[in-house]
This record gives sequence, structure tokens and C-alpha cells, in this order.
Amino acid sequence: MAEVLTGAAALIILSALVGLVRVLRGPTRADRLLAAQLLSTAGIGALLLLAAAGAPELIDVALVLALVGAFASVAFVMASRVIDRR
Amino acid sequence: MTALLLDLPLALGLFGAGAATLLARSLFGAVLGFISTGLIATLVWVRLEAPDVALTEAVIGAAATSVIILYVASRIGNRATPPAPPPIAQRVLAGILSALLAVLLAHALFSLPEPAPSLAAPVLDNIAPTGLGNPVTAVLMAHRAIDTLLESAVLVFAVFAIWSMAPERRWGRAPGPAFMAEAHGPLAFLAKVLPPIGIVIGVYIAWVGADAPGGKFQGGAVLAAMWVLPWIAGLVAPPSISDMRLRLAIAAGPLVFLMVGLMGFAVAEGFLAYPPGYAKTLILLIETAMTLSVAAAMACMIAGPPERRARP
Repeated sequence: MAEVLTGAAALIILSALVGLVRVLRGPTRADRLLAAQLLSTAGIGALLLLAAAGAPELIDVALVLALVGAFASVAFVMASRVIDRR
Repeated sequence: MTALLLDLPLALGLFGAGAATLLARSLFGAVLGFISTGLIATLVWVRLEAPDVALTEAVIGAAATSVIILYVASRIGNRATPPAPPPIAQRVLAGILSALLAVLLAHALFSLPEPAPSLAAPVLDNIAPTGLGNPVTAVLMAHRAIDTLLESAVLVFAVFAIWSMAPERRWGRAPGPAFMAEAHGPLAFLAKVLPPIGIVIGVYIAWVGADAPGGKFQGGAVLAAMWVLPWIAGLVAPPSISDMRLRLAIAAGPLVFLMVGLMGFAVAEGFLAYPPGYAKTLILLIETAMTLSVAAAMACMIAGPPERRARP
């Protein structure tokens, strides 16, 4: 069972890494941002699967990542608000 | 086999994200490449069985640095002219030196003695007197407490350094740029919904550090992120940098740490020694004060020097 869960985590990470192409190529800023956000969401999923596979302390890492994962988007909005003001 | 299936993409992904950060043509692309590198590094630390480091990387990489560098990138992005590329000879020389360093590092890595020298066994043998369950916290707070004390003072000096960037006429105002209040919309919604949950999780992460991965630094950083979020949404105004309560919060951790350390002369074997039986109580006292200080200092670091008039 642990093998299957680890394999599923690998699959999630692989698919998120494919999305990394969008961080590199864009074309728009939102594409880059969402690709990075996809990586954090996939990270949460992979961490929870690994936690179920026999490392329960990883649930806390997933919890924190879920909490702060949205901050890149917050910073993006914040930066655009500062620019708009000028 | 499945472990390799997981580790190989992570290693290649870390390398790829690092390369993407360096090769990105736009500032924004480089910043997001850096954020992605941090997220992959979190998973790499997990695979290296270092969940404490993974937690730190997640909080600092995803929350603190992403806010700081995205903000800086957007502020300099419009006016900065890209510097002229250095002459070709300089670039070739830099390339050769970097390659040489990589070869030396690889050589050092492959000639490590087997098994690698480790202090893990003595740490685990001597964890009982501290009353802690997490060997990382035992090292940080008991066996190498002097290093942690010096690190805690660094936070205070970092805030000094950032505040000293403020122009004279802005001294005494609130840290950070001005954000107009936005009563509705996704950012205001997030700033209202997330902090109550985040504060509980931040305190939990700081508390659980005694027995599981976590601790003052990770928990304090989560609390800082939760404090900064309503500032960014314009819902609450940050305190002025002359506010004694803010200054006390930043200094409380190192002060309590130092006082407990000096107390060691009187009631235990010396500086930073804990009296037998009271080790865990004193460590928790320091951790509590440090959590407050890390939260306040990190929030001030994310916000930056004062840029606006404090609200009355």
C-alpha cells in the first residue's frame, strides 16, 4: 500500500513539474503565477500521500504549505496594487 | 523503485527550476522561478528526512520571500535599466571558476568517509534531561543554545538595518508601503478568513516543536504572515515603528533568552545551563517569547521600512 501511495505522490509531482514549463515560458504573468501555485497545491497533495504512506509528521508540513501557499498570489495582487497607485 | 520514481523528478525539477530562474528574461519570470525552486526544495528536504527544514523552507520560501521579492521586483521593474552584460572574458572566467568549484564540491562529496561522521547518536543519548521529544529542538535549545541565542539577536539587528533605510522625515511612521482599504474582493476575503485559522496553526506549530517537527521560528513566521495579510489588504494599520509595544515584542525573545542564560550562573552550572528538572519549563518559556519576537520581527521585515504616514 505504501508503494502505491508513494507512486501516486510521484505521479502528482511529475504532472506539476510539467507545469513548470509555464513558469519559464509564460506568456502572461498570470500563467507563470498559476504554474507556481500549481506546484504548491501538488506539493500539498504529494505530502499528504507520503504522510499516509508512513510519515505522519508530514501532515504538519502540508498544513503549513496549504496556509502560506496562497501568499505568492497575495504578493502578486499587492504588487499590482502598488503599481496601479502610481 | 517507487522511491527513485519520486526522487529523480524532484532532483531534475530542482535543477530545472534553478536554471529557469537564472535564464529567465524577465524579472517577474525569475522571481517565480525562484519561488518554484523553493517549493521543490521543500519536497526535497522532506525526501531527505528533514521535516524541520522542510517546514522552514515552506514558510520562508512560500510566504516571506515571495512577498518581499515580488514587491521589490514590481517596484524596480518599471524604472530599472538592465545592466550591460559583462565582457566575454569575464564571463568565461566566471564560468571556469564555477565549474572548478562544482568539481571540487563533487570530489569532497564523493570522498566522505563511510559512514559519515555524525553526532546524532550522542544527541539521542542525552535528550532525556531536556524533557524534549524532538532531537532538533534539543540541539537548538540545550546542546547548542549559544548559537540559537546569537541567531535570535540577528533578527533584532535585521529589523534595525531595515528601519535605518527609512528617510529622516518618515521616521516614526508605520512600516511598509501604503495600501488602500479594499472592503470587498478576494484579497479582503482572504485577509478576513485566513488569519483566525492561521494564528491557531502558527501557535500549534510553535508549541508542537518540543516533540515533533516545528518550533518558534516556523510558528513565528506563520504568525508574521497572518499579521501582514490584513496590512496588505488595508483592513488594519500596522503600528508605528516608535511604538514601544512593537519594539518590546521584537526584543522580548532575545531578552528572555539572555536572562535565562545569565540565570544559569546562579542556579545551574553556568551560562545557558538549565537547572536539572526545570529544563523543559525554561525552554518553553524561551520558545514562547521567541515565537512572539520572530512574528513581530518577520512582519516588520516583510513590510519593509516606513513609507507612509501612520494613521491617527
